[in-house]
Amino acid sequence: MAICSAHTTTSLYSPCTTTVSHSSGFRQKQVIFFTSSSRRSGGGRRHGGARTFHVSCSVDKPVVIGLAADSGCGKSTFMRRLTSVFGGAAEPPKGGNPDSNTLISDTTTVICLDDYHSLDRNGRKEKGVTALDPRANNFDLMYEQVKAIKEGQAVEKPIYNHVTGLLDPPELITPPKIFVIEGLHPMFDERVRDLLDFSIYLDISDEVKFAWKIQRDMAERGHSLESIKASIEARKPDFDAYIDPQKQYADAVIEVLPTQLIPDDNEGKVLRVKLIMKEGVKHFDPVYLFDEGSSITWVPCGRKLTCSYPGIKFAYGPDTYFGNEVSVLEMDGQFDRLDELIYVESHLSNLSTKFYGEVTQQMLKHADFPGSNNGTGLFQTMIGLKIRDLYEQIVAERAGAPAEAAKV
Amino acid sequence: MASTVASLSTPANFAAADVLPRRKAAVAGRVWFPLAALRGGGFAVRSTGPATPPGISDKVSDSIKKAEETCADENVSGECAAAWDEVEELSAAASHARDKLKENADPLESYCKDKPEAAECRTYDN
Repeated sequence: MAICSAHTTTSLYSPCTTTVSHSSGFRQKQVIFFTSSSRRSGGGRRHGGARTFHVSCSVDKPVVIGLAADSGCGKSTFMRRLTSVFGGAAEPPKGGNPDSNTLISDTTTVICLDDYHSLDRNGRKEKGVTALDPRANNFDLMYEQVKAIKEGQAVEKPIYNHVTGLLDPPELITPPKIFVIEGLHPMFDERVRDLLDFSIYLDISDEVKFAWKIQRDMAERGHSLESIKASIEARKPDFDAYIDPQKQYADAVIEVLPTQLIPDDNEGKVLRVKLIMKEGVKHFDPVYLFDEGSSITWVPCGRKLTCSYPGIKFAYGPDTYFGNEVSVLEMDGQFDRLDELIYVESHLSNLSTKFYGEVTQQMLKHADFPGSNNGTGLFQTMIGLKIRDLYEQIVAERAGAPAEAAKV
Repeated sequence: MASTVASLSTPANFAAADVLPRRKAAVAGRVWFPLAALRGGGFAVRSTGPATPPGISDKVSDSIKKAEETCADENVSGECAAAWDEVEELSAAASHARDKLKENADPLESYCKDKPEAAECRTYDN
């Protein structure tokens, strides 16, 4: 007797997947709409034969992503790109605390790990510890709540108010399809780390961090180059001790460095960006340039494509990173014209796009975001597509179906 | 008011900036700051966005004053680091508040971002 299982197309946009086991060998595709109860038995009785009918909403068990970076290093921009790839705009919870740090879209909920501060601003001041210090954070609660969400349970998460520096009354977080935890310490605690299906670290070099903070803060009253410099220096020992070491655990690291295309450049305007992708990560197949596993340097600007100064230079190849095998894709320079971006996209493989030009389309959609013309925007978009792919593979796997990841 | 036009590309603004000697870069644990940056060598600051809400703006400038006071005696204490960390936290909050204002500045823009194909959002070349 044939047993077949039918499943809906696993996509970010279908609310639930159904698995039907029955004895007739009938193949069907079904989308189940339901209101309150999560189980409908006998949904397809007219086909005859004994069957069990399981409705497993992907809502039940979110895929959990961790994003680590220092303050002012582009986490918010990355989150906006990421949620855009998943579809739908991410908004703060409606009708809640206006100072909530949470972003919610149809598919994704992003929480900020500052909400797990155990010491508020006054507490840190009294004890003389920074927010980077693990003593200022409640990792037990972080672990319990991320675990609960991953198991499909809603939690009452505290809210750290960045304006007042106080802990506000908690907000209800219900399990989404994709649950992103972003902040200073997503990979610090081993228990939390083990809950992550994928992790990313944004590694911004000191020179670029300084340049970015000048751009962010110089117009702010009271700030000066000295105050920006003093703040970076004062936080650096704790950053080096508690934040930076997390990059060894990341599945993908985006490293942002000054350009090498302009000799002695230290303006911080043109960037050299490296995407370090760990090999052998389940559901994550690194992007490559031309020939997987080979070492390649590529200057796309020449006879077929002319680029504006200082041009664009790519590099790709295998490497080791903290003892792990990795693939590294590097982009130095910036896109000034659309045809440069399309030309580059067409030479990259394993992008996990659903159609030709999807990377370019995403980049154009958010041309106003910082980094849209350089490697930070390009690699953030590519990681977004990889996470979508990873999500679809995990859901397909849970539904007992072979993953058929759309690859262009 | 805060956030008035500040052009970093005007070198005169930062001629007096404290310039770290280059050899300090070799000192372990120190942050190296690009010399040209400290001279104001060409950073372009976009300052066309909205101003920081005054409540946060005041907090930022107060926190900077306090950090400078706390660190006046010795700048390796936990209190000093915590004080500058507060500056960073508030500066980030100020930046997020400005972004939020920018996003909500034009309701048609935010509507059309989601629905570019809607009649009121279409643009025509001719």
